[in-house]
Amino acid sequence: MRPEKANLTDARRSQSDRLSEAEAIERAKQGDAGAFEALYNLHKRRVYSLCLRMTANTAAAEDLTQEAFLQLFRKIGTFRGESAFSTWLHRMAVNVVLMQLRKKGLNVVPLEETMEGEEESAKKEPGADDIRLAGSIDRLQLQQAITELPPGYRMIFLLHDVQGYEHNEIAEMVGCSIGNSKSQLHKARMKLRELLKTSRAEKATRP
Amino acid sequence: MTCKELERVLPELEGVRSFELEQHLRTCSECAALVSDLNAISAQSRLLQTVEEEPSARLWASIESTLRQEGLIHEARPQLVSVAPRAPRWRFPWLMPAMATFLVVCGLVLYQRGGLEPAPASQPVAKVSPADQASAMVPEEEEVLKLVGARVPALRATYESDLKAVDAYIVDAERSARTNPNDEIAQQYLMNAYEQKAMVYELAMDRSQP
Repeated sequence: MRPEKANLTDARRSQSDRLSEAEAIERAKQGDAGAFEALYNLHKRRVYSLCLRMTANTAAAEDLTQEAFLQLFRKIGTFRGESAFSTWLHRMAVNVVLMQLRKKGLNVVPLEETMEGEEESAKKEPGADDIRLAGSIDRLQLQQAITELPPGYRMIFLLHDVQGYEHNEIAEMVGCSIGNSKSQLHKARMKLRELLKTSRAEKATRP
Repeated sequence: MTCKELERVLPELEGVRSFELEQHLRTCSECAALVSDLNAISAQSRLLQTVEEEPSARLWASIESTLRQEGLIHEARPQLVSVAPRAPRWRFPWLMPAMATFLVVCGLVLYQRGGLEPAPASQPVAKVSPADQASAMVPEEEEVLKLVGARVPALRATYESDLKAVDAYIVDAERSARTNPNDEIAQQYLMNAYEQKAMVYELAMDRSQP
């Protein structure tokens, strides 16, 4: 009777889960499958969440997530640690998302241009200006409002206010100036304020 | 500070408020509401980070498959044979414990020395696959297979295959330990490999007994 085959990599796999990111990166450069998977598990939620909030579509978000990780793993041999690994990865994810949006013909305005005069103001409900938001922002309404932001604003807003990146990191990821990142973020927040007030005013006027 | 001046400096504020700004906010309810709303939006958005979505399980499978097709992932390590050790009843009582002890001692010595010496950088490393290195049987292995073949001919091919697989495992583990002499995981992996081979011998000898 043939002895049972054992999966002797189980012990190694559980140990790879505990690999530090630096160790996983070095092993991944050598083609270690466990290291690739460890890096993927470490960063998949953040990347996927970014893609999902940008596309509002799970299938599209998974495709973009896959593409971002494939680009990462193909180029991992070139990573020298000049920036944080997560920043490097998210830069790729941002590029993948932006390229996809441009392919779809969406008007992803170059971030160096201002949006003034190029966007339509949301149709204001009567009484919207009187609505106060502070202390009463509904999470679902906010998520909906984020999906209505123009893609350029949405990207900066997600990276800064949701994912917590600093403007210098965003500027590096997106390829704009720090000043422009701050400006776009402010405009995104202003736009969200407008959308949330309009949404709340609409609810208030419904019978 | 006027309302227009406040709107101009708002993008740069990043939570820092000047005295003039505070003064203006105390006197202008519209600007105060604006700043309050923007801060609330930012604060609520930060909470969205905790609501991170998880992609489906098939996504990693798809990524891994692509990486393997592109040759970016090494071949899977050979499946190893794990057997339950049994009390030896071998025909040559000196052979089994001597061989097993030899293998385990080799592994212990290497483990305590911190692994194999790294290959000298100046020498080119011949690219020989573990399978090729493991394909040639050493005399001890031939002896074991001869014994198995004499007793249970149908199992000789099976044990020959198992020995080749575990030899490939040892070659791979030795290379890993040589490349990463300070890596405890690689050293443990090598120890496991030697123990596996000892167990294969043990089982083979057990099968060869009447």
